Amino acid sequence: MSASANMNGAHVLLVEDDSGIAREIAEELESRHLAVTAVETGDQGLEKALSGAHDVLVVDRMLPGLDGLTLIETLRARSIRTPVLVLSALSAVDDRVSGLKAGGDDYLTKPFAMEELVARIEALLRRPDDTRQTMLRAGPLTMDLIDRRVERDGREIELLPREFRLLEFLMRRPGQVLTRAMMLEEVWNYRFIPQTNLVDVHIGKLRRKVDGPDEVPLIHSIRGAGFTLSVPD
Amino acid sequence: MSSILRGRQFELFRTARFRLALGFALAILVATLLQFSLVYSQMTSQEFRRSGQLLHREMDFLLSLPADHLSYVIRERSTDDLRIVINEAGIFTANREPVTGDLKEWPEGLVADGGLHASVMIPEEGAPYKMWFLADRLPDGRLLALGRSVHPLSEQKLMMRRASLTTIVPILILALVTGVWLSHRALARVKEMHEAVDRIMRGDIHERLPAGSESDDMQRLAGSVNRMLDRLEQLMHDMRAVGNDIAHDLRTPLARVRASLERVLSGPGAESPEVLRDTIGGAIENLDQCFAIITALLRMAEIDNGRRRDGFATVGLEDLARDIIDLYEPIAESEEVSLRGPVMVRDVEDGGGAGLPASSVVVQGDRDLLIEMLANLVDNAIKFTPPGGRVQVDIGYRAGHPAVSVTDTGIGIAPEERGAVLTRFYRSDKSRHIRGSGLGLSLVTSILRLHNAWILVEDATPGDPGRGTKLVAVFPAADQIRP
Repeated sequence: MSASANMNGAHVLLVEDDSGIAREIAEELESRHLAVTAVETGDQGLEKALSGAHDVLVVDRMLPGLDGLTLIETLRARSIRTPVLVLSALSAVDDRVSGLKAGGDDYLTKPFAMEELVARIEALLRRPDDTRQTMLRAGPLTMDLIDRRVERDGREIELLPREFRLLEFLMRRPGQVLTRAMMLEEVWNYRFIPQTNLVDVHIGKLRRKVDGPDEVPLIHSIRGAGFTLSVPD
Repeated sequence: MSSILRGRQFELFRTARFRLALGFALAILVATLLQFSLVYSQMTSQEFRRSGQLLHREMDFLLSLPADHLSYVIRERSTDDLRIVINEAGIFTANREPVTGDLKEWPEGLVADGGLHASVMIPEEGAPYKMWFLADRLPDGRLLALGRSVHPLSEQKLMMRRASLTTIVPILILALVTGVWLSHRALARVKEMHEAVDRIMRGDIHERLPAGSESDDMQRLAGSVNRMLDRLEQLMHDMRAVGNDIAHDLRTPLARVRASLERVLSGPGAESPEVLRDTIGGAIENLDQCFAIITALLRMAEIDNGRRRDGFATVGLEDLARDIIDLYEPIAESEEVSLRGPVMVRDVEDGGGAGLPASSVVVQGDRDLLIEMLANLVDNAIKFTPPGGRVQVDIGYRAGHPAVSVTDTGIGIAPEERGAVLTRFYRSDKSRHIRGSGLGLSLVTSILRLHNAWILVEDATPGDPGRGTKLVAVFPAADQIRP
């Protein structure tokens, strides 16, 4: 997967007290060439986070000793801006809100698919640098955010507003695996998992407009994970 | 130890049976004593009246006699009455000196006024006794005094006191025995109920209290308790059914996972990476379905918890409907169902909302949950509508209450199934083949309950349940929302 290459060598600090899940996560991340430091308590986590340079933190919400949210709050209070992904067994939407309020950057509820975790870690590692730009480019695609125009190699693509928002989300993260849940959260701002394959249908519509019959497909499905906008070099 | 003994000792007094019996005996005792004392006082006053009558009659008779004859009559006690009814008689001078008769001394306290007077006589031997006296003035100025002993009455009273004392014991015993028997009868039923309740508590939920024909209070109470138990048993049964449904819904995908893993492990496909990949992919898909069910159940539990009301804000139903339609339009299109709306409809009942802009229909709530609620309604409507059908989202007012409705042209819900569709895991027989966790509408009811809102299930075409369903979420009117 081309996406993983972009994360090569990034350092992840994993703070998780369930050793079984911690091992699974660590192995998965290492198989994708990420360096993982795993600790089991909040205090150890805080110590490591303060001392070492990590690219991203994965923190369980409920930890023995210092709990996950306090850990994040302490880090933020000391101006450590490392992106944090909060894991929680609690499904409560309130918990999500409090997790993000404490300074977490993303929130994932257990049980989760590994693909979902990896996609979110990748998204945190490669956050869009400048959200103020008015012109997006991704391979043959250009998007004018002011005129709301999209072109592929000079061919204008007519998009509905929702398709435009979806494509914008993809173009800001080229080459990155984006899960259905991430798209629902970011594009539609919905926090629930619909029973039907909503996102797939939206992507299907968009794909038919973006990838013409004779063109190289840009939008790809990734089995078990989601979708990606691949950009030929 | 002593406290236990004391406890045991008082246990007897504390039992309802003993207290009932004792109360009964006491009541009988009081009634008997009351009766005795009433008879006693009746006797006294009766005797007083009778003595008065007799003395007056005799006095009138004696006064009518000539003076010489009167002296003779008194001296010799020559009339029957003087012999039998009048115990003492005497003629006195105006100065109360005895003249003739067996009354030798003017009784103390006697006044010759024609009224009855009591006086205690002190005989030379024997105990003093009480007598009633009547005195009157003779035509010649002398005084005539007649006395009647209350002795017979005293004897009767004595007899009565004795009688009451001797009868009170058997009466008391009889009362106690009757009391014990009656209370035993009453309490035996309480005991039966106790035992029945004990059996129920031990887990025999089919047991019922003896209610008989519910002809008295006790039986009526037992009847009410039985009806409560019926309801609880029904609820328990429902809950168990839900548990069974959950177990079944989880078991099916898990069984599929197990079977496919086993097959690939023992079969020839174990060597082929493609087969392995496919099997694992399928297994993950099935496990995801299990997780979806569990997540939905947990979410419902969380929503039912009701803590989220604190975060309520004003949410416009029009925007909500617009967002949901935007989200579901492509899928409706791919299912060949036309998804329309939101249309502002007038209140059919009172015309409310007429002329108001659609943006005025607002509710107090949690936007995320309301989105989820409406999404489930629309999702459901699309799922149960055949190709070529139509799903329509409307907003407006119902009898002044903000409402959002989703109408489909699907298979419809029979009137008798309408309550059940909102319960967990219910699937109409007609819809068994359609995929889903069966929890969508339950989640909807949970969310609406949190908002103090309710759902109406109606025919899309009134009176024709076969031609589609209209689900209406009705919210509390703005003035009914807590501040």
